[in-house]
Amino acid sequence: MIEINNLVKRYGDKKAVNGISFTVNDDEVLGFLGPNGAGKSTTMNIITGYLSSTSGSVKVNGHDILEEPELAKKEIGYLPENPPLYTDMTVDEYLDFICDIKGVAKAKRRSQLEKIVSLVKISDVTDRLIGNLSKGYKQRVGIAQAMVGNPSILILDEPTVGLDPSQIIEIRRLIKSLAKSHSIIISSHILSEIQEVADRVVIINHGKIAAIDTLNDLSKRLSGQTKLLMTFRGPIKECSAKIRTIPGISSAVPKLADSKVSQLEISISGDKTTDIRTAVFFMMAQEGWPILEMRSLDPTLEEVFLNITEGKGRA
Amino acid sequence: MYAIFKREFLSYFRSPVGYVSIAIFSFLAGFIFFTQFSNGSVDIGSEVISLRSFFVIIIPIITMGLLAEDKKRGTDILYYTTPISLFSVVLGKVLAAFALFAVMFINVIIHIIVTVASGGTFGVGAVGTVIVFFFMAFMFISMGLFASAITDNQIISAIVAFIIILLTQVLSVIADYLGTALTSVAKMIGIKASPASAIGNAVRNGIAWLDPFAKTQDFRLGIFSVSSLVFLVSVGILFVYLTYRVLEKKRWSQA
Amino acid sequence: MSKQVVKNHNQTDNRADKLKLYSIGSVVILIGIILFVNILFDRIFGKALTFDFSDSNQNSISQESIDYINSLPADSHIRIVGLFSRPDNVSGTPYQYIIPLLDDYVKESNGKISVEYADLVENPGIINQLDPSNSYDLASNEGSFVIEYNGNLKIVSPLDCYTFDMDYYYSTGVYAVTNNNSEYTFTNTMNMLTSGYSCKAYIVTGLKEEGSVYLTQILNSMAIDVEELESSDNFTVPEDCDLLILNGPNVDIPEKMYVAMTDYLNNGGKMFIAVNYNIKNVGVRYTRLSHLVSQMGIVIDSSLIYENDPGYQRSGYAIDHTLTAVGRFAEFTSLPYYHGTFTRSISSYSDPAISAQSYAVLVTSDKATLVEYDDTGSLVTSDADTTGTYKAAMFAEGAGTDPAMIYVFGTTNFSSDEYISNYGLNDENIDFFRACIRDLTASKSAYSINVATKSVNDYSLDSTKTSTSLSTLIMVIFMIVIPVILIAMAVIVYAKRKNL
Repeated sequence: MIEINNLVKRYGDKKAVNGISFTVNDDEVLGFLGPNGAGKSTTMNIITGYLSSTSGSVKVNGHDILEEPELAKKEIGYLPENPPLYTDMTVDEYLDFICDIKGVAKAKRRSQLEKIVSLVKISDVTDRLIGNLSKGYKQRVGIAQAMVGNPSILILDEPTVGLDPSQIIEIRRLIKSLAKSHSIIISSHILSEIQEVADRVVIINHGKIAAIDTLNDLSKRLSGQTKLLMTFRGPIKECSAKIRTIPGISSAVPKLADSKVSQLEISISGDKTTDIRTAVFFMMAQEGWPILEMRSLDPTLEEVFLNITEGKGRA
Repeated sequence: MYAIFKREFLSYFRSPVGYVSIAIFSFLAGFIFFTQFSNGSVDIGSEVISLRSFFVIIIPIITMGLLAEDKKRGTDILYYTTPISLFSVVLGKVLAAFALFAVMFINVIIHIIVTVASGGTFGVGAVGTVIVFFFMAFMFISMGLFASAITDNQIISAIVAFIIILLTQVLSVIADYLGTALTSVAKMIGIKASPASAIGNAVRNGIAWLDPFAKTQDFRLGIFSVSSLVFLVSVGILFVYLTYRVLEKKRWSQA
Repeated sequence: MSKQVVKNHNQTDNRADKLKLYSIGSVVILIGIILFVNILFDRIFGKALTFDFSDSNQNSISQESIDYINSLPADSHIRIVGLFSRPDNVSGTPYQYIIPLLDDYVKESNGKISVEYADLVENPGIINQLDPSNSYDLASNEGSFVIEYNGNLKIVSPLDCYTFDMDYYYSTGVYAVTNNNSEYTFTNTMNMLTSGYSCKAYIVTGLKEEGSVYLTQILNSMAIDVEELESSDNFTVPEDCDLLILNGPNVDIPEKMYVAMTDYLNNGGKMFIAVNYNIKNVGVRYTRLSHLVSQMGIVIDSSLIYENDPGYQRSGYAIDHTLTAVGRFAEFTSLPYYHGTFTRSISSYSDPAISAQSYAVLVTSDKATLVEYDDTGSLVTSDADTTGTYKAAMFAEGAGTDPAMIYVFGTTNFSSDEYISNYGLNDENIDFFRACIRDLTASKSAYSINVATKSVNDYSLDSTKTSTSLSTLIMVIFMIVIPVILIAMAVIVYAKRKNL
């Protein structure tokens, strides 16, 4: 369990983190969401003891990170944004070194490392030089490193960044399997990634918490923001006017218009009980504008923030 | 501390750095030894004391990567986020470089064996020079480590270490020039000759007092001075502590 | 929003400030502690914690010197000034064995001795300060040490502090130090100054002798001032002469000198004469010199002592042998055995008219014979019948309260530069020589402090175990093989690990 209370970190006049408070419960996966530069990494660095906060406190299983740093750090396994890998060592040598600095007893070391290596699936590369591994493997070695010493809490800063899609899926699967026995904080600037693995989400922006919610509540909040991108052949102005008449559509913004194709961004309001796409299709068919493509648009994080803050404003 | 020591020490031998620095040392020590040997008279104390002059080349090579490389790779975060203390990290690194020197010193031990086998002498006086050699190695290593802590570029770190060590070697010369310069400046601004040269002399003596080479010069004559060793150790400790502070600064620095 | 920024600006960051203060403060405190500890060790414990581990304690003064210093009154102050700036690196300079030694004097002296260094260029005032009347011409003694006590000065040159390999010097022009007499020189010079004793010896020159550099040093260290007395047509023995020395003349003394010396002896003079029998003087009969000493009952023979007893021969040479002191002279040193080379026989001359008593000082074994060579170096006589004990040195003493005294040595092994440069100032011969000088100047009660000569650190290898090919092998192994192997290992390790 991690209790974070009113955390502030200043760099000169700029506050990278400005009064963040939240709690991570045992065996919970907490998604830490925010755009680049929102203060995610700074917060994680403070939680892990890498940086000291300007004010506020972090308690890891009851140990304050500033007052009892060694006890607190024992509970945490940290995978920073850039995995701290010695590229001149083999995976075996490296994990052995990590055991050394985390003070894992020699007797337990072997079985623990075997478990970790098979869990993160790096057993086939243990003799290889870390510098020669692919990005995905490096990331897994980084996670393995965080798991050494059996910490109850894992803090993973952007674990999937820079990986290819199949590697991303692998890592997500790994995180899910780890979630059974660890509290995990996982940060990302991609919403869908968090949705995939997290029980609860903390969204921060400009160093402040924008929202803390369970995933379900978040989905509900975001439900009003479905958008469709429709590509068709036909006059864009008339089409957009026409489409707005369909009930449940709040706006239709022209995106692209040339002699051949037009594109409309359609915002849907109201609940999702009726599928608006049917109505759109029939209307377009009636008009004789063939739909070339229609797909739903994921909201960008910025839009999510906008929405959340707007929603708050409205509330 | 042992974990860091082990990693750094072994990493010297996982990369060419360890072998190359030992090779350089072997060559230079071998050269001194051969010169003495071919003259039919080997003074191990003199050889060991002469080897001090090569610290300026060897120390930057072995210390440049100690912390700079960590910062570049981002592995320094391990020192902050694992239960290990930063001070033991610094100490482990110093000891690793120090141990490399002990390995290099095997060369001199072979030289001693050859000398004694050839009917030469290895007296108590020479043991003093061996002791001072290691104390001085410790001091320069801690300077090199400090240079490595203030940058994340190995080359810059090596250059800084080179300059620091070079400056300590020519401290007496600097002291002379500065003393003379100050005397003439003092005379120019209208101070009488004797207080002017007193100022110059005070500055000269003050700076020259810091010269580790002048302090340990007499060891080769068999003079064993504890205060010189205290000086070397304390300067070493100072730089170790400064290094520790530089690392610690990262936690709270607002820059 | 702008309000917010201003507010942030004024807000102090307590935690970081505290850490920063702690960080800087701890560094400052550490520097303070380090300075304190270093000054403590440098200024207060420094001397006590400096040890001399050199192989022959080159750099520390011996108990004799310490005893001497302790015998000085507590308020006495001896000032030693080196007329140069102290070199940072004394190794390889003439001061190598002197400067560290002087430091030890200061350390042991409880403030009675001070050492300073003054460059004559930078600090010209020091000359006037030490020697206001400029009677010592200090300006020409740059690089030497001046010892000052109660306004009296003595100058010690670094050259006075060593014995050199003279053969090596003559052949190469390079001084190779064989022995270190620094402590001997300094302690005795200080003693000379503090005892206020004065005694003057004259060494007669101009008789083709070899030179008396070390003899002068020895006498100086015994607090005897030495001056040379050139052989000339109007030779006279000066009034203040306490001791007249003829050190290895290779020609006979001139008539004028004979007269002056006879006069000197008749007035209770003291003389030390050393001759030998070598290729340069085989033809010299020393007629007048022999005549001079015969007045004291001694004759200088014109034959070489040939030692036939193998037990007395040195390295099997009959002309390089052991001499034994007899009578009261056997007490002069702990063991009465000395080293004679090319020894001229000295014998007694009995004439009832002579009041002086002569005594044998050094004798050979009873199996010695006498041989004679002519000018060309060929053997003239070698008579086996002459086997017996011969005298190599004699002493004679006149009658009266301040009697004439004379030592005549048939060998120069006790006083020549050549011998001393090879055997040092602590050779048993030299000890014996000092005892003789003390005997001669006993009325003046000269006393010198017997400080052991220190042999210079010898790092030479056993030449039988080294050779050019061995040193080439060493070069190949240490400078090529080992570094190349290491570089090869570096390449192998790098190549292997690169592809792991």
